[in-house]
Amino acid sequence: MPNFQVSVVIENKPGISDPEGDTILNDLVLKSKNTNITKIRSGTILKFSIAEKNEKSAKDKVIKICDELRIYNPLVSKVTATAEKV
Amino acid sequence: MSFQEHEQLHIKKNVKRKLTDTELQILAAEWSEHCSYKSSKQHLKMLPTTGPNVIVEKGYDSGVLDVGDGYVVTVHIESHNHPSAVEPFGGAATGVGGVIRDILSAGTRPIALFDGLRFGNIENDVHARWLFKNVVAGIANYGNCLGIPTIGGEVEFDTCYKNYALVDVAAVGFGKKSKLIKNHANPGDLVLLIGGATGRDGVGGSQFASDMLEGENRSAVQIPDPFIEKLIIEAILEARDAKCINAMKDLGGGGLSCAISETAESLGIGIELDVKNVHLRESDLSPDEIMISESQERMLIITNPKKLSKITQICDKFRIQCSVIGKVKKDKMMHVKKGKKTLALLPADFVARGPLIDRKKSKPKYLSKLSSSPKLKNKKSLSNVLLELLASPNIASKHWVFRQYDHEVGIRTVIKPGFDGSVLRLDNGKSLSVKIDGNPKHCYLNPRQGAIGCFEEACRNVVCTGATPIGMVDHLQFGNPEDPEIFWTFMESIEGITDFAKSLNIPCVGGKVSFYNETSDGPIKPTPLIGVLGLIEKSPLIPTSPSKNDVILLVGQTKDELGGSEYYEYVHNFIGGTAPQVDVSESKKNMKSILSLISKNLVKIAHDCSKGGLAIGISELCIFGKIGCTVDLHTISALSPEKTLFSESHSRYILVIEKKNLKFTKMLLSKNKCSFSELGKFSGDQIIFESDSKPILKLRVDKAENNYLNSLEKIIQNG
Repeated sequence: MPNFQVSVVIENKPGISDPEGDTILNDLVLKSKNTNITKIRSGTILKFSIAEKNEKSAKDKVIKICDELRIYNPLVSKVTATAEKV
Repeated sequence: MSFQEHEQLHIKKNVKRKLTDTELQILAAEWSEHCSYKSSKQHLKMLPTTGPNVIVEKGYDSGVLDVGDGYVVTVHIESHNHPSAVEPFGGAATGVGGVIRDILSAGTRPIALFDGLRFGNIENDVHARWLFKNVVAGIANYGNCLGIPTIGGEVEFDTCYKNYALVDVAAVGFGKKSKLIKNHANPGDLVLLIGGATGRDGVGGSQFASDMLEGENRSAVQIPDPFIEKLIIEAILEARDAKCINAMKDLGGGGLSCAISETAESLGIGIELDVKNVHLRESDLSPDEIMISESQERMLIITNPKKLSKITQICDKFRIQCSVIGKVKKDKMMHVKKGKKTLALLPADFVARGPLIDRKKSKPKYLSKLSSSPKLKNKKSLSNVLLELLASPNIASKHWVFRQYDHEVGIRTVIKPGFDGSVLRLDNGKSLSVKIDGNPKHCYLNPRQGAIGCFEEACRNVVCTGATPIGMVDHLQFGNPEDPEIFWTFMESIEGITDFAKSLNIPCVGGKVSFYNETSDGPIKPTPLIGVLGLIEKSPLIPTSPSKNDVILLVGQTKDELGGSEYYEYVHNFIGGTAPQVDVSESKKNMKSILSLISKNLVKIAHDCSKGGLAIGISELCIFGKIGCTVDLHTISALSPEKTLFSESHSRYILVIEKKNLKFTKMLLSKNKCSFSELGKFSGDQIIFESDSKPILKLRVDKAENNYLNSLEKIIQNG
């Protein structure tokens, strides 16, 4: 079976505040006069290496693991997964 | 949002017009059970609130106790149960933040945190484990980022908290009496909002906390930002020193609605505010959302206009936002505007004093159905029972929890978590001992005696450090108060606490009531939590390890009170029997005697005898000292070995006495007419309990230590 690297990005849902992103924006980026930056959202990225038959099943399997183990709180976090063959 | 019939009548009678949408939102937030205490307020008045150390001022969010030499300590307790059950990390962290701002609002610096945590059965419930891990992580993250030590608390697991979490946070502050904020306001003073921007997080949180938890509610999720909180603390304390603050209030449940109406009502003033001036995180927030948002890390300040430039300068220095959102008026009205348009105009006392409810109460039927004793099928060996109990989540060491907390930052911590009461060094050479205690298993069987027992246990713990109790806070957590049977348990608890507080002259300086702690599986067991503060004039009794030939004394009587014990509930899965009852005169006598012995340096270790009973108390001492002991149960009582070993009777202290002090110690205890027994002494590497000189329980200390120290972590790691 081919190997895939599935990257899972966990971030706060839109509308839920993100103090870490706000701090990076206000205290670092804007202070360096990068005034064209309007928003920064922080998140966590997890990279899973998985042997699966195709990209879709690799992504589905990893998301299922994240759901079952409650690696993120579905109430607060938005989760997106991307897979690439390695 | 809905009003009950009597509330609709109250509105109709007092406001002779149709309320605006904003007014309805404000009233719904302020009149929620969470903010208005509509079921409990009239009953809370029975608690004694005055005493020689108590300082009372208008509008304080925390209790203030004079500790002499011009210094005060402040204390407050809050819970964040509903938010923590939905989003454990953020809910617990913001719970810590809220109680810290209550301490700050009196003008004192927060110096310590305590957490009482309760979850479902983590041994077989994955969700309970997830809640537990994330609540602890949330508390650790917030407290550690702020540099405030978390120095004590308790953790308990019971199936009644399935799919739920009780997260109680107590905070202690310290400061100079001369720098306390004397809340006052004059017409023309400015109303400022300082700190985090207002967003949609927490919108409707107070109403959410007043409903049963039936589903996950995204709007009530609150996101913590400890770094802003830290800046607020420093900015506020600098503004206090610069005499910029006339009055101050934390924004908690109900957001601006409650902070404005309660400040205006308590100070006898009117406040006019313009929602356009509130600094926002999301520009499309409606005025109603602005008024009820429970965004964290915000403080309301009233200042003299002449001080505005100074306070703005301080906020700029700490890079926190500050908006002038309104002004003080004479008219005692709460006036909310958007530009020139009036959105709400109501008398502040009408908003702040919601109509109270006289709830019905009736003795719960379940109480008459409980059995008095279990039918024990397979009798386990006492050694195996002790091993099992030492590994049980409620008894096993909680170091997995408290080692995640920075408990030494601030260099005040003299006695760290893991012993009886925790002790903090104060600047006047005295020490402060604090402990919080609860016991829902006892309270379920006997709400009145259970609540008294929690109170007495917290007192015992501070007494074990050599401290005299000077004040208490209570947090009363129950299910739906509309159910007369649940309301009966609340009334029994508060009456019990009142009686005991009056008997011991310990004033109640703060507290909280949390109702509607229910899920689709039903209500929680009655869970009053009591925090006791004790003052040590000289040095605290710092626990050391017992040595060979040190003598073990048990002060207090062991009674046939296995009801609600870990032995019955964890080992035999039995709920029933007689829960421990406090004999007030014995309690007073024992406390006084232990304090007298400690003051005379006769005691090496004083250890509270509670959860798990005598067997656990003595095993803990052996584990801490890595030494065995031989104890003769025959000297204690005529009860069966199981009852003697595992009964959780109150008012008992295990003392470790050096041989040279034994005679004098026994003489003083006899003189004070205390009931006590000389149980045996420390030696060897086995914990041995004998009856009629025959061993009935024998356990190697290293085996006991392994179960006691490692079990909780194993459950967390291996599920």
